[in-house]
Amino acid sequence: MSWQTIQGTVNSQDGGVSPAPPRIDAPAAQQPAGRRGPFSGLSGSRQQQLAGWLFLAPAILYVLFAFATPIVYNVVLSFEHDSLSTIGSISAPWAGLSNYTAMFNDPIAKSAIVHTLIFTVGSLVGQFIIGLSLALLFSTRFPGRTVARSLVIVPWLVPLIVTGVMFRFMFQQEGGAINQVLVGTGLVHNPVDWLGTTNYALLTVTIANIWLGVPFFTLLLYSALQEVPAEVKEAAMIDGASAWQRLRLVTIPIILPVIEITVLLGFVFTVKVFDLVIGMTGGGPANATQLISTWSYALGFQQFNFGEAAALNNVLLVAALVCSPLYLFLSRDQLRRSSGAAR
Amino acid sequence: MSFLQKKTAVRWLSTLVAFTAVAIMLFPIYSIIVASFESTVTLFSTNFHFFPYHPTLANYKTVVLGTQSGPAGSVTTTGSQLGNVLTSLEIALGTTLLTLVISVPAAYALAKYRMRTTIFFIGALLLAQIVPSIVLATSLFAILLKVHLVNTLPGVIIADGTYAVPFGILVLRAFMFSLPNELMHSARVDGASEWQTFRMIVIPLARSAIVTVAVFAFLAGWGDFIFALTTLNGASFEPITLGIYSFLGNYQANWGAVMAAGVVALVPASVLLVIAQRYIATGLTAGAVKG
Repeated sequence: MSWQTIQGTVNSQDGGVSPAPPRIDAPAAQQPAGRRGPFSGLSGSRQQQLAGWLFLAPAILYVLFAFATPIVYNVVLSFEHDSLSTIGSISAPWAGLSNYTAMFNDPIAKSAIVHTLIFTVGSLVGQFIIGLSLALLFSTRFPGRTVARSLVIVPWLVPLIVTGVMFRFMFQQEGGAINQVLVGTGLVHNPVDWLGTTNYALLTVTIANIWLGVPFFTLLLYSALQEVPAEVKEAAMIDGASAWQRLRLVTIPIILPVIEITVLLGFVFTVKVFDLVIGMTGGGPANATQLISTWSYALGFQQFNFGEAAALNNVLLVAALVCSPLYLFLSRDQLRRSSGAAR
Repeated sequence: MSFLQKKTAVRWLSTLVAFTAVAIMLFPIYSIIVASFESTVTLFSTNFHFFPYHPTLANYKTVVLGTQSGPAGSVTTTGSQLGNVLTSLEIALGTTLLTLVISVPAAYALAKYRMRTTIFFIGALLLAQIVPSIVLATSLFAILLKVHLVNTLPGVIIADGTYAVPFGILVLRAFMFSLPNELMHSARVDGASEWQTFRMIVIPLARSAIVTVAVFAFLAGWGDFIFALTTLNGASFEPITLGIYSFLGNYQANWGAVMAAGVVALVPASVLLVIAQRYIATGLTAGAVKG
């Protein structure tokens, strides 16, 4: 760690309030070898500062327009009575907390929150178990593993609405592949109405979402497993640890940071699932698969009750952002690098 | 059985298990490809055929030509996906262009210029990736309405950029951070301006990361459904994702057309998987965000 690194870190911890550390204006060519501080010599003139800001300007404008404004506006909307005729103007009547009380008295909104929770937890458990199993399998040597590994990411590339209709087709009661296999193998007697009954529909969309997330979990956990030193596993083997013990006591603790960030990102992806459910069930039957995202869409764009939709959106946003301190903490390497720390 | 034979047997067993898993993972895709060649009669029978039963191109004909309805003399054609494929391509390429124009210079600024705001900006981008699309969609609709961009291509492209811009900046920044500063120094010593250094040194060196981001932005724009659904709901054009949704119908899906259009929607992803697989895997492990 060079001195610039330490200073950079200190500076960031002060939140930039302290005076900036002395800058190095000498060209890097004159610096001793090995002194390759990330910003050495690049921070010199005001012209360069200006260039930096100009390079950043489009991104700042875009983030303000496409992220900051909508998020703020969503809060505003949630306190207004909006219809399709007032949504485009700024002066909609003030609604106070009525959108929020309406939302919490709306049985469908409440059940959508519960469904989102079940759907998310169920998906993550399934994705993690299957993803880790596949990652472990692909870490062993066997003929054809490169091909198998590259094929496993294919589901991730399918447009989500297509995934939705694929599963809707497969889980049809009549003429669906799933029932055909289940009846054919004698596992069930009569075809199950997977998507037409309230008992099974949420389970079915969760299964589809597990399928969707497995490639992501597999690939991330697989690359983490490549970092586990072979000597550590061999040492555990020599000490007589069983395969299960090696996994639980050696491998998993080593890849834990990656597991954490993968599950966290998986959580973030899953709470916002929309296309898949719209394609499979449209939220039905009888709102049995209505998630926060799909109900918010129905409220806003089908019933034009933008106020309650915005209130529900804010619940979703809070749910997604609840984990943000943890997310930022787990991404601390990326943040630390931003302040000039050693990589 | 000797030790070596046993080991070989275990390996082939692994192959068997792995390819069974892969087959299960790919089966849904296989099933729509098979179904896209089935006749309507077969699709609405009580049996699913694991192999094409009476293969026909009728569904693809529907997808290309649309379906004709109405009284003689005023026949209207609806549902042709040719225009929709073009619209999807325009949206996907527009999203790619927007993402690159914004994220390549921004990533360079965040990687190689000392700015006090860097850490806040990166934190903001990490958080931006978390924001659910439906949250953005509701109020972006209102905002785009105000600036008269609802039902326009630029409007939906700006909305689709929310998938790819934060991801693009973060991935590119991580990559550019690892470029040695000496390269940029020597360009400056040789009298290159900041812009020339960026264009002639940084962009060529960051090519592979730029391709990764471009592939992701393209797929995000191509596969987008939610922003097309919300910002293009009164437009005279629609992307193929909305076309598929229309085929689903309110009561009874037109399965044949849904399947064929779904297969068409898979084409760009398949092409990219073949020609840019390396970049896709890189992007996924970089913490790609989808949806």
